[in-house]
Amino acid sequence: MSKLEKWNEKIWNFFASVDLAVALFIVISIGAAIGTVIPQQAEPEATIRFFSKFLSIANATKAYEIVSLLDLNNLYHSWWFTFLLFMFALNLIVCSIDRLPNLLKSYKALPQPLPFQILEKMPIRKDLKIDKENMPDKIMEIFKNRGFATNLFQTPEGMQIQAKKWSKTRLAVYLTHLSILIILSGALVGTFFGFRGHMNIVEGTGLDFAISDEGKAIPLNFQVICDRFEVEYYENSAIPKAYRSYLRILENGQAVKFNGKETKVVEVNEPFSYKGITFYQASYGFQPAEHAEFRFTYFDSGGKEIPIKAKFEEKVKIPGKSVTVSVIDFSPALGIDEHGRLFNMTTDMINPAVLVVFEEGEKRTERWILKKIPDTWETPYGKLRFDELWGAQFTGLQVRKDPGVPLIYIGSIFLCVGLFISLFLRPINYFVTINKDNISFYSPSLKGKFIIEKQLEEIINRLKGEKI
Amino acid sequence: MSYQIIAIAGLLYILAMPLYIVYMLTKNNKLGYLATGILASGALIHVYGFIRRFMEMYAINHSFMRSIPITNLYESLVFFVLCLIVGYLFIEWKYKKKSFGVFVSIIAGIIIGLTELLGVSKEVQPLVPALKSNWLLAHVTLSFIAYAAFAISFITGLLHIIMSSESKKSFKYILSTTLLGLMVFIFISMIIDIITAGNPKSVKIFHSTLGNPSVPISIISWISMIALILISWKWSEIIIKIFKGLKIDSNFLEDITYKGIAFGFPIFTIGGLVFGAIWADQAWGRYWGWDPKETWSLITWFVYAFYLHAKFIRGWQGSKTSVIAVIGFIVTIFTYLGVNLFLSGLHSYGSM
Ligand code: HEM
Repeated sequence: MSKLEKWNEKIWNFFASVDLAVALFIVISIGAAIGTVIPQQAEPEATIRFFSKFLSIANATKAYEIVSLLDLNNLYHSWWFTFLLFMFALNLIVCSIDRLPNLLKSYKALPQPLPFQILEKMPIRKDLKIDKENMPDKIMEIFKNRGFATNLFQTPEGMQIQAKKWSKTRLAVYLTHLSILIILSGALVGTFFGFRGHMNIVEGTGLDFAISDEGKAIPLNFQVICDRFEVEYYENSAIPKAYRSYLRILENGQAVKFNGKETKVVEVNEPFSYKGITFYQASYGFQPAEHAEFRFTYFDSGGKEIPIKAKFEEKVKIPGKSVTVSVIDFSPALGIDEHGRLFNMTTDMINPAVLVVFEEGEKRTERWILKKIPDTWETPYGKLRFDELWGAQFTGLQVRKDPGVPLIYIGSIFLCVGLFISLFLRPINYFVTINKDNISFYSPSLKGKFIIEKQLEEIINRLKGEKI
Repeated sequence: MSYQIIAIAGLLYILAMPLYIVYMLTKNNKLGYLATGILASGALIHVYGFIRRFMEMYAINHSFMRSIPITNLYESLVFFVLCLIVGYLFIEWKYKKKSFGVFVSIIAGIIIGLTELLGVSKEVQPLVPALKSNWLLAHVTLSFIAYAAFAISFITGLLHIIMSSESKKSFKYILSTTLLGLMVFIFISMIIDIITAGNPKSVKIFHSTLGNPSVPISIISWISMIALILISWKWSEIIIKIFKGLKIDSNFLEDITYKGIAFGFPIFTIGGLVFGAIWADQAWGRYWGWDPKETWSLITWFVYAFYLHAKFIRGWQGSKTSVIAVIGFIVTIFTYLGVNLFLSGLHSYGSM
């Protein structure tokens, strides 16, 4: 063997070894754990502040230098962590190439009797004496009834029976390992061919780009319009029950139809995809825009409901009356403090309220109308319900394109299937030698020894039972 | 209220512990059945409490799937205990060995105690939108079933190490006896905490012992903790003798340790990692984001993958692998409680 070949073999064996896998499990775990302690993707000051909790300032600064040298503040995307994952993948590939062909060959090979010395070394062994005719057939039948495939051999030491079950399930381990490679490659595809970003769309407007996590604009080639955004709260509480955006997609100025409808509703846990780009309801916020308008319903004397829209401080005539109404103040969450004064609790529209003024000639009447309190809708000029302030909230959408996701899903399915087969349906092998009335059972398996011994006992009991 | 019913179940679990001890010492089968009976009736009451809580949540959410009570820290801890007890009872029934009931009831007792002492909210709360997902439901349920399986392999792993150690100076032996002593101390300390608490809302963990405002009591507590660990280290052979008397050998313990992991590992993979990733994908638009909780789940997974490979391919023999099972469960606990207590992240789910 030349020197080069020797080296080749050494390197191959290094990557094919399970020792490397076991070492990588530990090293990757420790690396990943460090990343959960040190702040990730934080400003230098934040990292120094973190270390100054238990180090002097000078040492904290030094610690920061080490951190930035090793990319510990961006650990999961650092060169060395990526390198470890790469080694992990390589280990899996080489290990499988190294072992799989042998396993496949062993399935094709003709069954052979095992030499006595090998049987003697097996960890599980049970001996018994039964003097009866046709023992081999009886034993084989019991095994066959239990789903085993059996082989009978004549050896110098007597008869040998081999019983096997689920021997092909050893292939499932390779499916498991393959699935991990598929998942890793899905992650790679996502990194190189996808993007992640977000867009904040004010109710009543649209955007045709997202902002990436790095702060760059990503053009979308179509426009996303938010016609409406709403938050539902649990009764008498500030806990949001649901929030949803009513979106439309405009392509070249044309609204796109989905199953005949233009509007798509996006909620938390219910994203929406268009052209490989997925939109997730992520957040929302208060941001009054120019076009914001207050929407009311006026109940005229006949009980008819008439919608009224007004911008801030815009005077609108009440139908059938010589009165105007205008909004002069607004509160998204009106509360009353201990001095009886009104104040805004938050900018979430938990309990929206408007201060309106009615003007009839010289006469001015001011009134708070609260959306959720019907008593306040009754005014001297009839019933006026405040419905909403439209155009004053934005919806925060997470935007993502990730062509690697199908691979992740396929890999995950393989992973689960592979693991279930390889851990629940283990191959079981028994060897039986019959020499006159001496019968010995052997099993090479250490996995689940207790169960195997129990099963063996059952088989032997059947055998004894048949004797009677 | 459902949590009072569940507290009664917890009390029964704790009560089963001394009975198991007396059974082990006397080998009186009647006492053994009594211990099992108390544990099982605790489980039945627990199931009843679970159903009651379901109905309380249904009254708020009006949705079947949204009312399964595993939506916050309290509910999930309680669910974990239920899985642990049911899993243990199954093993007891299947193998006809009441071998490690003491330790199961200690762990169940500690966790029920934690829900009293960590100040976790037991009220039924309405669900925030991010938690309204069937994937999350499957994710949490399966994760906790897997955690319970890991807990069982932790106990049998500990006992396996103790039973098969030749030297008292070996790292394995010191580690496992220390853990055993600590568990007993925490168990007793929590019981005292709860009994002596005037107002249940204001109790803190270790308030009556290590963290007692009175210095002598605190010092005595520290001394007794160390004493318990030393006793456990010095006289663990008593356990070995008792176990041998009950015809329990280290092979059985090793086998259950493996079984727990072989069962828990695929469940954890599918429920903890895969379903968790699918849920994150739908709720946040990413299937993996190196959030501390996710990262620690991955570490947990790696530890158990390490166990499987070290045991079967590297051919590690005997209690060496059980050490990994023990460490694996410590990592599991950290993934569940430690990450919430010490690290920050997106998983507001488990927050108190
Ligand atoms: C986290 C990733 C991994 C998982 C979840 C995993 C899972 C498994 C499982 C469940 C088994 C079956 C064990 C048993 O018999 O009980 C197995 C076997 C095995 N694994 Fe892995 N594995 C991983 C990574 C690796 C790596 C990186 C290597 C690299 C060398 C490797 C090499 C092997 C080998 C050689 C076997 C034995 C195959 C056989 O019996 O023919 N594994 N693996």
